Amino acid sequence: MNVVEQLLQILLSPTIIIPLIFPGLLTTFLVIIFIAWFERKLTAKVQLRYGPLYVLKSLGGLPQLVADLLKFLFTEIIIPKGSDKKAFILSPIFLFTLSMLPVVAIPLSNSYAAFFSDLSLLLVLALLTITPIFMLLLGWSSNNKFSFIGSLRDGYLMMAYEIPMFVSILAMAVAYDTLDLVQVVGRQSSGLWGIALNPLAAITFFVAMLMTTARFPFDVAEAESELVIGPYTEYSGIIFVLCLGASYAKLSVLSLFFAEVFLGGWNPLIWPLTLNPILPGVAVFVKGLLVMGLCVFMRSIYPRFRIDQVLKLGWHTLFVLSVASVALSLGIVWVLGF
Amino acid sequence: MKPKDRRAGKLLGLTGHMQAIRSGIEHIFKPRMTVLYPEVLQDLGPNYRGMLKLRIDICISCTLCARICPSNALKMVKVDVRKYPGITYQRCIFCGFCVDICPVDALEMSGSHDAACYTLGEQVLKPEDFSKDPVIEDKPRVKPLFDEKRGLRYESC
Repeated sequence: MNVVEQLLQILLSPTIIIPLIFPGLLTTFLVIIFIAWFERKLTAKVQLRYGPLYVLKSLGGLPQLVADLLKFLFTEIIIPKGSDKKAFILSPIFLFTLSMLPVVAIPLSNSYAAFFSDLSLLLVLALLTITPIFMLLLGWSSNNKFSFIGSLRDGYLMMAYEIPMFVSILAMAVAYDTLDLVQVVGRQSSGLWGIALNPLAAITFFVAMLMTTARFPFDVAEAESELVIGPYTEYSGIIFVLCLGASYAKLSVLSLFFAEVFLGGWNPLIWPLTLNPILPGVAVFVKGLLVMGLCVFMRSIYPRFRIDQVLKLGWHTLFVLSVASVALSLGIVWVLGF
Repeated sequence: MKPKDRRAGKLLGLTGHMQAIRSGIEHIFKPRMTVLYPEVLQDLGPNYRGMLKLRIDICISCTLCARICPSNALKMVKVDVRKYPGITYQRCIFCGFCVDICPVDALEMSGSHDAACYTLGEQVLKPEDFSKDPVIEDKPRVKPLFDEKRGLRYESC
């Protein structure tokens, strides 16, 4: 009996639940299935088409991605002859894991987090910066010109988004005077959410987020019409799914992060409701889903930018905007005296 | 819009983005433009060049159809003593030359073109199969109409 209780305590502890169940691996998997369907369906609706339909017609083709995954599961995994085999197989696994990892630093309520840290705001971003290395590695190890060009473009993209992203979060850190995500959400409990407090930082971070996950206007790395599918050209089977899933996992993690920093986290809920982590967790999750929906909506309205246009946007517009957002934050702190 | 305003909008690049997002949202609420094909069929009109049918009772075996056929889809096949045209839909390009040249109007075109088969052999029709009516599926049909606002509009018929 005692053993069962202890086991349950371990299983229900946030260090297990957050990375593995909610909002970690399992929930992300379900979210990927939903959001990929939603992306295709919404794009189809904007283009006056039907989109996926025939897999379970009463739900409008919702399990389409499950069918696709089954197909990928039974596809042969082909490792090209000239490739660096270890790097070829391991880099997608590292890519997916590291895209998922920042979720441990995201708290779900005042007292429910996998990893309490004074620097959790920085930790999320710091963990996210590791992924482009593996993107470069998988492009290089494929020994294919399309993969190589695609991963190099991903590296260029990183130059464009990383600094504006960090500077815009610096602006929020200045405005909230903390680097702890629990306190960041606590500062927004007055009703003045981050997006209203510093809209410049919110816009900059949102665009940088689109670039990080290579969502539509910025999918220069996997431009189908030019590079087959960019860094993943040589991949097949289930490791290809890992490559594709990595960008969606990153999107889901960053959306939760956006919900906490700019959309007030679990904030409309007041004290007695936040004791149990379920309701606040769901509130953060729903906000994150809305952000994700907005991100995938961009696919249906924007064409793809050229790589030089993306870099120009990053350095000429986003960087300036992010520096302006820091100035705005300093002004807010000076005027309101937070 | 005044030129100055336009310049300000261009500087921030905001007007274009706002327009794009607005038109995207507008399109979500518009009715769809495509037809659910295998369940709803498009009405093909009276003179549509669909699958062919041979009226074997009036055919005079003149072979003109087999000679005019630009893709060698029609060939004369012996049935009992006389030769009649047989067709292979692997080759037919639905040009209608055979129908035009037939001196006794023994060939006619139907309003169906759904020539999907499971095997290649099913697409080769001997004269006796060629003289049967092509299968026209009994499914709801819609008629495309030109609409000044939307471009295309479908009306059930």
